[in-house]
Amino acid sequence: MPNNIFTATVDTLNREMKRMVGRPIYFISTVLTMAFCYVFFFTFFNEGQPNKMPIGIVDLDNSSLSRQFVRNLEATQQAQIVIYPSSHKEAREEMQRGNIYAFVEIKHNFASDAITNRRPAITFYVNDSYLIAGSLLLKDITYMSAATSIGMQRKVLRAKGIDESRIMGIIQPIVLNTHLIGNPWANYGTYLLNVILPGILQLMVILMTIFSIGVELKERTSREWLKTADDSMFAAMTGKLLPYTVIFTALGIICNMLLYKHMHYPLNSSIGWMYLATFVFVIASQAMGILFIGLTPVLRDAVTFGGVFGMLGVTFAGSTFPIEQMPVGTRIFSDFFPIHHYFNIYVNQALNGVAIHNSFVSFLLLLSFIIAPFFVYVRLKKAAINQNFPIK
Amino acid sequence: MDSQKNISLFKKIISIFKDTLLVIRHEFKTMFKDRGVVIMFVLAPLAYPILYCSLYMNETLIDVPIASVDYSRSKESRELLRHIDATQNVKIASTYSTLAEAKQAYNDKKVHGVIYIPADFSKKLNTGEQANVSIYCDISSFMYYRIINQACNNSIIDMNSEIQINRLNEVGITGESAKIVSNPIPYEGQILFNEGAGFASFLMPAILMLIIQQTLFLGIGMIAGTSRGENRFHVLVNSNIHRGRTIRVVIGKSICYLLMYGVWSFFILGVVPHAFNLPHIGITLDIIKFMIPYLLAVVFFSMTISVFLPHRETGMVIFLFFSLILLFLSGVSWPPSNINWFWKTFAWIFPSTHGAQGYIKINTMGADISHIRYEYVSLWIQTAVYFITTCWAYRWQIRRSYKKLSNE
Repeated sequence: MPNNIFTATVDTLNREMKRMVGRPIYFISTVLTMAFCYVFFFTFFNEGQPNKMPIGIVDLDNSSLSRQFVRNLEATQQAQIVIYPSSHKEAREEMQRGNIYAFVEIKHNFASDAITNRRPAITFYVNDSYLIAGSLLLKDITYMSAATSIGMQRKVLRAKGIDESRIMGIIQPIVLNTHLIGNPWANYGTYLLNVILPGILQLMVILMTIFSIGVELKERTSREWLKTADDSMFAAMTGKLLPYTVIFTALGIICNMLLYKHMHYPLNSSIGWMYLATFVFVIASQAMGILFIGLTPVLRDAVTFGGVFGMLGVTFAGSTFPIEQMPVGTRIFSDFFPIHHYFNIYVNQALNGVAIHNSFVSFLLLLSFIIAPFFVYVRLKKAAINQNFPIK
Repeated sequence: MDSQKNISLFKKIISIFKDTLLVIRHEFKTMFKDRGVVIMFVLAPLAYPILYCSLYMNETLIDVPIASVDYSRSKESRELLRHIDATQNVKIASTYSTLAEAKQAYNDKKVHGVIYIPADFSKKLNTGEQANVSIYCDISSFMYYRIINQACNNSIIDMNSEIQINRLNEVGITGESAKIVSNPIPYEGQILFNEGAGFASFLMPAILMLIIQQTLFLGIGMIAGTSRGENRFHVLVNSNIHRGRTIRVVIGKSICYLLMYGVWSFFILGVVPHAFNLPHIGITLDIIKFMIPYLLAVVFFSMTISVFLPHRETGMVIFLFFSLILLFLSGVSWPPSNINWFWKTFAWIFPSTHGAQGYIKINTMGADISHIRYEYVSLWIQTAVYFITTCWAYRWQIRRSYKKLSNE
């Protein structure tokens, strides 16, 4: 009997591979899509952080002091001065056009006020409609303004004859050292690509699982499919889905290699754990795909629901906006997304490099997705035999 | 003679009008008969904005738990920790006696950061030296890092300015001059347009514009795929409709989609931002003026591509992931100035790129049409180009259908 199941599986596998060559969609939505995404995201974020973003300076003083400040600003990593508007209004309009993301305003008599202790202010404006650009520029310009202020303080204190050893203690009594755990460069690509690419992988796995099964129901070839599998639903499923398991796991592992080996993104544990996580993640996503086509054995409906679910995956991984800060209940919901557990493994293993037993639960939860198909096992088999669902 | 000519012209106009109306009626009928299309054209534009807005409802992080490791155990260190705990964004959830214990708590995901105050903290503060404080931030999400760093930094700046005055007094600088020395060049950073640096206010406007394009695109793709799959001749244009010229079919269909999405635009851009308190400082008339070319460009773009979809499900399976690509191409998260020329050119092709940029500039940043001329003109160019390509594509399909008819 096991021998029978084995032959049945192999027969189904052969049948599926023949089908896969017959239609371009199988190639487009597996290899081509993922390859495009790799090329796109790795060339799109190759800078790691947006550098030299355009800003404006409204320098109404135009003194040596203000020009010194502008030069210092020019030297920062993130900002590049592209225009010198003559008024606040003009600068604001440039911002509304999207030509600059920030501007600094230096008032009339800036230098003379500074010398005569009138405390002239530097005001700067950042546009947080572009949140990434805005917050990075806010950090850089604040830093530069603080440096200018400190320089001025030091000058005054020296002039007053304060001992050099005491000066820094006066200027900055407490110094804050910020350490980023696991990702010392605060690389934007790192924290984004580690969730976007698995997110797209999950979406494509779910869609292709639904498509490959659903198209049999739609085109009324499901009886023949079952017959090839010797009427064993288990063999029919295994034989059909095995090629996708192999293809998507391979694509996922290529993704891991690109992230950790090619781009040298943080990897603080063995890459083997990420490979294993990828494999289990693909299987869990396939299980979700089976669940969708089993619940609604109509190709077009299942594709729609699976698509909605897949698109939500990126949100529910919990990287863009932390899940625990979302409305109550969302956290339970997020447990139903394989990518959520995959992301937890990534954070624990690749990013933080903690002991593998901390990820044990996540692996187990990913594996438990295999239960999902059993809920729809009977329904799907009946649908395949009776072909009693509408094709459209 | 002349009047006869007039009558025939009049008759022709009437017949064109009638044909177009026929196309519209037929299209509406197919749309609402098809459950999949109804999901795409009705359920998705209704549910998606509400769903995403609810998920991202919290604009910023509140009370992110961090751990403290206080080796100093002094009046000063406790004051600093109290300061940090009092901020809205961070709370000190637990206190540990060693860094190793705090690290364990971090690994167990009980906290998202650790603040470490070394033993010599108070001694250094009392002897006028510089004291150090370290924080360790979770970077699994950019938000954690930003919030924890900001809260600690602000608390330290507050404390610094107090200590500064004391120390200046000690060296004999007092009163007004101490104030001046402690802050000779005050600087102030102001956030414009998204004042709370909110996550939803930043991302949602682009997502809303994308929802409009993507549901339209996938819906039109579904309709086209179905006509191809079900029509006797496997062609896109139902044979009993194309009596007129291509242009009538194209115009009829597009009017149908435009009517539909005029209503949805009102809901998605007029109701949702108010209901979820997203930015909405744009002038309504400017938004309407901008949405006309946006919807037109999206409709004709979608109709052109839809001709190449063989089956109704194909569009979803092949193009759904592209929504994510489009989100990045639109240049809200990664700033447009830093997108390389190749992807920038590629991004130009899609209406959503200009749509998201233009909408954000009008509605979040209060720009008017003259400020967004680039996006506005780009959308009209797209409208023109995609209208022509749609006509070509449809004519090609109609001809094919005729050929098959005559072959029969």
